[in-house]
Amino acid sequence: MQDTGVARDLRAEHRAQATRRIIWYTLVVAVVVGCGVVPPLGGNLSFWFALMMWVTLATGINFIAGFTGYMPFGYVAFYGVGTYTTAVLVKVVGVSEYLAVPASGLAGVLLALLLAPTLRLSGIYFAIVSLSLAIICQRAVALMPEEITGGSHGINLGVRTVREHGYYAMLLVLVAALGCAAWLAESRLGKALKAIRDDPEAADAMGVDVARSRLAAWCMAALFPGLVGGVQAWFTGALDPVTAFDVLVTAKTVIYAMAGGLGTVVGPLVGTVVLVWVDEIIWQQFPVLNNFLLGLIIALLILFMPRGLVGSLMQRYPRIRRYVM
Amino acid sequence: MSVAPAKAAPTVLGVRGLVKRFGGLVAVDRVDLDVTQGTVVGLIGINGAGKTTLMNCINGIYRADAGSVHVHGTDATHMTPHGIAHLGVGRTFQVPRSFNRMTLIDNLMVPVLDSSRSDDELFEQAAACLAQVDLYELRHNHAEELSGGQQKLLELARLMMFDPSIILLDEPFAGVNPSLCRLMIAQVERLREAGKSFLLVSHDLTSIYRLSDRIYVLNQGEVIAQGGVDDVKSDPRVIEAYLGN
Amino acid sequence: MNTVLLINGLVGGIVFGAIYALIGCSLNVLCGVLRIINFAHGEFVIAGTFFAYVLLTALGIHPLLGLPVCAVTFFIAGYALYFVLIPRLARSDEPETSSFLLMFGVSLMLVAVMLWIFEADIRPVNFSFDPINVTLMTIPDAYGEGRHGRVVVPTARIVALAVNAVIIIGLTWFLYRTLPGKAMRAAIMNRDAVQVVGINVQRLSAAAFGLAAALAGVTGTLLALVVPSVDPNGGADITLIGFIVIVLGGLGHPVGALAAGILFGLVEQLATVLMPQAAAQMVGFMILVAVIFFRPQGLFGRAALR
Repeated sequence: MQDTGVARDLRAEHRAQATRRIIWYTLVVAVVVGCGVVPPLGGNLSFWFALMMWVTLATGINFIAGFTGYMPFGYVAFYGVGTYTTAVLVKVVGVSEYLAVPASGLAGVLLALLLAPTLRLSGIYFAIVSLSLAIICQRAVALMPEEITGGSHGINLGVRTVREHGYYAMLLVLVAALGCAAWLAESRLGKALKAIRDDPEAADAMGVDVARSRLAAWCMAALFPGLVGGVQAWFTGALDPVTAFDVLVTAKTVIYAMAGGLGTVVGPLVGTVVLVWVDEIIWQQFPVLNNFLLGLIIALLILFMPRGLVGSLMQRYPRIRRYVM
Repeated sequence: MSVAPAKAAPTVLGVRGLVKRFGGLVAVDRVDLDVTQGTVVGLIGINGAGKTTLMNCINGIYRADAGSVHVHGTDATHMTPHGIAHLGVGRTFQVPRSFNRMTLIDNLMVPVLDSSRSDDELFEQAAACLAQVDLYELRHNHAEELSGGQQKLLELARLMMFDPSIILLDEPFAGVNPSLCRLMIAQVERLREAGKSFLLVSHDLTSIYRLSDRIYVLNQGEVIAQGGVDDVKSDPRVIEAYLGN
Repeated sequence: MNTVLLINGLVGGIVFGAIYALIGCSLNVLCGVLRIINFAHGEFVIAGTFFAYVLLTALGIHPLLGLPVCAVTFFIAGYALYFVLIPRLARSDEPETSSFLLMFGVSLMLVAVMLWIFEADIRPVNFSFDPINVTLMTIPDAYGEGRHGRVVVPTARIVALAVNAVIIIGLTWFLYRTLPGKAMRAAIMNRDAVQVVGINVQRLSAAAFGLAAALAGVTGTLLALVVPSVDPNGGADITLIGFIVIVLGGLGHPVGALAAGILFGLVEQLATVLMPQAAAQMVGFMILVAVIFFRPQGLFGRAALR
């Protein structure tokens, strides 16, 4: 074909990529500044902390659910193990929070490696097993000696540092997650994962190392809930097995990510910000119907917008695809 | 039409005594098969003869129960599909299998993700491959937005991008309109000239007789006949397998 | 080991196992015919228990008499619910996973509604049988010389088991001997073929959803007989038991669920006799995970449905 044509298109490709990055990093900077100024301005720390936490979790689950096509219904297990790792390290071992949180991330990754064989399963089997394993983790934590995990009563850490420290730690984790997502989306690993999501057998036949690629995605997906759990334990200072392994954590994570659009980097961020905000309004207006409305939103999303806000827009207007990370 | 392969041409794909069972059913039964470099080997047989199963065993999707597969002299019997792909074996599927929610350009990138070449170089190559099958203008579309025929073309373009030395084609002409069929036949002939080797599965005899240098006939998992096109055409066992019962 | 406790465990295992079997059957009808994993199934069952509770407290109707009413009501509700929820699912990228999430949403809504109407208390379901208990057998010298042990079972449990058995036999007869039942089994084996043969798949699917809902409602009533109380938050545990049973028995295999349900009931009840409570609760999940890895087609199923 016309060589000049291809060269021109390649330049257009580079420009699109630059635009894409500018849009994305503008968004990230806006989020960082927005969340960063909350403590000095005396905003509601708990609300903004929760927002950052959900964005991080939704971004994390996107690595495995959106990019790779596995729906881990026991995603909360990584978060739960993260909270307990930090709590036990701080309370029993006496480690500083600043070291305990990275250890929580590591614990998440270790659990992911332990559960790696489940990736052999597909579709609904994977979802059910993942859910069961999260419950096993919960029961196992409750069964451990009381002097370590506090049994069914959990652990009370109390307030140990200024709250802002925990808050900014979450901001740091959030930025790491967003950066990681952007890197993945542009990397060749990201393309391999999407190929696996769309057709694992064909990807394998095209030379993609399916097992290795999805394991990488799985570990990345587990790292962030581990870290989030650790910071959460630090920030709130109390935890118990029921809330630390609550299946609602998984559900909300999935829904927030889906609402924006799994498989895009922007999706989980947009979806979470919109829905956490909606959730807050619902919570204030109709405390009794909170879960009902959450369930209704889930059902409506799946029936009418299975690809989420960003995904649906991209489906409707193919031109914007090039500018959405 | 078909040119007899040069005596010295090496065997690039060798299958020996391959067996694949599903429960009590023997889908592939002690099959021996050779593909020499720069030839098209046809594999024919009625539905359920074991053609696709054999192909799946060769590229590692199925694990063979007995026998061996050698690719360029390397024992590939127990390798994974991606390992076999790295030995230079590429394939298409009976029903085209594109990566639905990826752009056409990204679809073409999948087989070269391990390449050390830069993204720009790969883009240029992918553009050339897409242009050859008239899909370049649609490069930013998602594969799911293509028609069935276009998906076949996309698979062909992906294969060109992959550039394997041994190409397994599973029913490439099924459900394809005549002009596309001619285009594909021309591509196969061009690639054979360039030294690629083919294993071509089909139950459409016309195109396979036209393209193949050598033909194997599979019936109930067994090779019942093999040889040049004319030998196979006149073989009574083949006629019986196709027309008998 | 105390023989009386052990036999009590065995009897309890069969009574609970039969309930689990019924839960598994109805889940598997859905899973087989519609490829839907019903996350809200436990809530369907609990709704059935509440149905019996309301009939009893408001109208004074005994749960046993309420069974047919419950079945019919739930069938109609399920039939209608099908058209609201399921046809649109086919448009999503991964219908199975989407169905899982969709039904999770439904379960959240059902729990919220039940909490709203009945509040978070665990309520007793006060019905009566005469006699209250039945002595199944007497074991001589169970507690030492001259102190006989008696295995006593509440009448309600025996009745529940009997009714359960009748329903299971009826269901098997329906699936294997009647035309709509055969059509459902055919749909489990090959959905497309059924369509080609000229069966209205929409109506068949809606009927399957109705049947599953009816079975769940009936299970809820029977559960009220076995455990005479009702907890709006209890659905999740029932759903999980259902998952365990259908995976053990083979996904989409209604008869496999029977054997798996009883097996799981026995294992669970004996585990509670032999182990600390939290550990006993883990046994089921451990078995589930082990089965999925080592025998993914289920203990009794064939690989056909994967």
